[in-house]
Amino acid sequence: MTPWTFILKNALRNPRRSLLTVSSVAVSAALLTSMMTLQRELTVPPESEGASLRIIARNKVSLVQPLPARQLPEIERIPGVVAVTPFTYFGGQYNDEEFTSFAQFAVEPRRFRSLLVEGRVSDGDYDAWEKDRTSCMVGRDTMKRYELKVGDRMRFRGTFYPCDLDLKIAAVFEGTVDDRGVFFHHKLLDELTGDLGTVGTWYLRVESAEKVPEVISRIDGQFANTAAEVRAESERAFQMGFVGMLGNVSALIRTVNGVIVFTLALVSASTMSMAVRERFREMAVLKALGYKRRDLLGFILAEGFGLSVLGGALGIGGAWAAWTLLDIQKLTGGIFIVFEVTPRIMASAGLVAAVLGVVSSLAPAISVGRMSVVSGLKTLD
Amino acid sequence: MSDGDGTTNAGMAGGGSRPEAAPIVRVRSLSKVYRQGDIDVTALNSVSVDIQPGEFVVLMGPSGSGKSTLLHIVAGIDRPTSGEVEVQGINVGNLDESDLAEWRNQYVGFVFQSFNLIPVLTAAENVELPLLLTRLGRSQRRAQVRAALELVGLGDRMHHRPDQLSGGQQQRVAIARALVTDPVLVVADEPTGNLDAKSASDVLGILSSLARDAGKTVIMVTHDPKAAAFGTRSLHLEKGEIVS
Ligand SMILES: Nc1ncnc2c1ncn2[C@@H]1O[C@H](COP(=O)(O)OP(=O)(O)OP(=O)(O)O)[C@@H](O)[C@H]1O
Ligand SMILES: [Mg+2]
Repeated sequence: MTPWTFILKNALRNPRRSLLTVSSVAVSAALLTSMMTLQRELTVPPESEGASLRIIARNKVSLVQPLPARQLPEIERIPGVVAVTPFTYFGGQYNDEEFTSFAQFAVEPRRFRSLLVEGRVSDGDYDAWEKDRTSCMVGRDTMKRYELKVGDRMRFRGTFYPCDLDLKIAAVFEGTVDDRGVFFHHKLLDELTGDLGTVGTWYLRVESAEKVPEVISRIDGQFANTAAEVRAESERAFQMGFVGMLGNVSALIRTVNGVIVFTLALVSASTMSMAVRERFREMAVLKALGYKRRDLLGFILAEGFGLSVLGGALGIGGAWAAWTLLDIQKLTGGIFIVFEVTPRIMASAGLVAAVLGVVSSLAPAISVGRMSVVSGLKTLD
Repeated sequence: MSDGDGTTNAGMAGGGSRPEAAPIVRVRSLSKVYRQGDIDVTALNSVSVDIQPGEFVVLMGPSGSGKSTLLHIVAGIDRPTSGEVEVQGINVGNLDESDLAEWRNQYVGFVFQSFNLIPVLTAAENVELPLLLTRLGRSQRRAQVRAALELVGLGDRMHHRPDQLSGGQQQRVAIARALVTDPVLVVADEPTGNLDAKSASDVLGILSSLARDAGKTVIMVTHDPKAAAFGTRSLHLEKGEIVS
């Protein structure tokens, strides 16, 4: 026998309790891992190569305020701008869906082409889309989800706009961070709405990432003190602006995480003190046999730490497996494209489990350390 | 200092006529007072006694007379209020907590009334526990465990857990655990208190042969006069003092 055998036999002496401890730690750790992942997905949009080159210019007043279409030539003339297209959020409902999780944008296909930095057309033909005013280009994920093929039609009911769309799929794209969108001709939108002479936003591509700040300030300056002042932002900053609205959600998640950790601490602390209290007399016997305070501390710590870390590993591993193997896009109705449990998140959750294992063992270990052999021997089993 | 104190070294019960060698246990003016609120409870009142190597000393006396207290202090699991205990020339009171633990591991074997085996460990593993603190290698430990269990007649029960053994067998495992480190002193507090007559006499037989054949010094507390008959000397305590 080694001390490790002894520790293991102690940990398994009440199998049901050990199982309950391990599983409650596992469930909490899985929950914690998932919550941390959720928070990360909400606050850190997926990084893409093109995002650092692209700028979104919107009305300074608010995102829903349109911009005049006549700004286009002025933006195009700004040095460093490679391409610019109108980019108008349609926000329609697909078929009879309550909630449509993919966006539809009206763009100018000819100008949009070079904005699709990391995307490529995998089916159909970009030129065919560009030529046909009533056709659209659809992301691979949406094609798959609705089992569509090139030539099929997609119908959208307008929610902001008082018109519906009936589009023929001409091209399919993939390779972007979000292969879900539907793009159609801005001209069509103009026709259907009676040519308002406005666009939602401008979407532009800059020569190089270094030029982005300069272009942004040029655009902002260009329309300062006009009827439609513009606010340009990098695509990334634009996404982060959405995230800002999620600030309260983040705070909520943090609170939930705190509650999970606290509950976990209570569970493991009470289990360990129970496990040790019913062994007080044995601890006294061990002391009589010559075991020192630190030996007993070691036994208790190893047991508490072991159970806690085992539970943590199972929970974190389980969460990782679940979020990696499940089709998160389908599961969340397309709200999340990925739900990435990063090594960093797993390490933090693991650290929490390990620290709790140690902390929960401390109180019982201290009481065992203080106990005199004689008083310990008098305690009843 | 009070060697001539008539209450000590009084008898050589059991007829053992051992020469006056250096005592293995020297107890001098040992007192233990428990303070409970305003009242002092004197558990031991200036007890002095010498015990020779190989003696099987039986401590008797009414409940609350201080038998266990004396045993605990001699065995180094309790501390006196005043007075001294020397075992093989080592002043036990001078050892700090950690040294005292090591000293107990090397010098003392414990047998308790309620066996106090670890329920999740087999007989052999229970006996091995004190050896885990020594420098012995695995095979040497195993050999010593086997020898100790064979000595108490349980060589064939090595891999039984306590709940698979009778009370008498459990107590014999406990004796094996007390012996396995080859201590000079074995202390037993009412070791037969929970046993039937047959098991009790087995256990007492083993303890007396430890003193007689293995030269160990055994100190046993008991209420049972039949058990006391196994000893080589009886000490009677009353109200914290040795009266005979
Ligand atoms: N922790 C303690 N606090 C206060 N008094 C104590 C404590 N331990 C023992 N005593 C008192 O010390 C005295 C001697 O106790 P001890 O346990 O040595 O008696 P004993 O002779 O072993 O009795 P028994 O035969 O019942 O086991 C008793 O009066 C007891 O009440
Ligand atoms: Mg007693």
